[in-house]
Amino acid sequence: MTPELIGPMFWLIIKIFTILGIAIYVVFAGVVVRQEQLMSKVLEAGPERALRIIAWLYFAASLFVLFMAVVLL
Amino acid sequence: MPVLFEANQSAPQKTAKRTKPPVSNISKRSNPLTAYAYKPLDIRFETQEVDEDVILFLRQHIVVMIPSFLLFIAMLLGPMIVFPLFMNLLELPIQIPAGYVVVGTVLWYLASFGFLFTQFLHWFFNIFIVTNKRIIDIDFINLLYKELSEAPIARIQDMSYQTKGILGTMFNYGNVLIQTAGEVPNFIFESVPKPSAVMDVVSDLLHATKGVE
Repeated sequence: MTPELIGPMFWLIIKIFTILGIAIYVVFAGVVVRQEQLMSKVLEAGPERALRIIAWLYFAASLFVLFMAVVLL
Repeated sequence: MPVLFEANQSAPQKTAKRTKPPVSNISKRSNPLTAYAYKPLDIRFETQEVDEDVILFLRQHIVVMIPSFLLFIAMLLGPMIVFPLFMNLLELPIQIPAGYVVVGTVLWYLASFGFLFTQFLHWFFNIFIVTNKRIIDIDFINLLYKELSEAPIARIQDMSYQTKGILGTMFNYGNVLIQTAGEVPNFIFESVPKPSAVMDVVSDLLHATKGVE
């Protein structure tokens, strides 16, 4: 496939699938946050607060990547 | 009459030393990476009863996290070394837009961190607890599946342990197998540190429980 044959429609389809994939990843990060909360109820060993903060930062970072994808692609 | 044999007076002292609990000098404080804690003061679990004390708290030895950590390091090197080489070899006819490169790289690093974080959560919350009343095995098989098994100490019938491989021998960790009576499931404490000490503690508890009964 030569570059001339690749039209805007091609990149639009790629963009939609990329954003869809990242959106699924955001859902996964949300599941990690929820799961960390459930796990922390089972065990009280000290660093649960740190783990909770990391899980929320991870979720926020995945949202940021989704935002980046919408803006940059 | 000459004395032909005289009993060694120091022998009982040696016997007394041998019966000393093997874990008496272990710290009672835990830290986030604790994999073996004898009578920890700062650990509680969900279904713990008021008059129930944690005697032994176990996780898999931290060494089992090494493969995941090495894979994480390899994933970090991907965008810096592997991907540029790969793209040069492929010689794609189309130019990938800069936006895709940026988003793809950030997503890759995020996924790498996510991989290590979920592996750590899995290690951190998969625990084995021995209390003065029961043994408990809490497993988070994956992010969406949790399993909790428990059995009274008095139901324990048989115990054994295995230390396998170079790492297991070097770092003194292995599997402790506990067989229980009736329909109560058998327990496997996988890759726990000091398996012989774990067996000693559980065995002492078992004898104490049966002695009371």
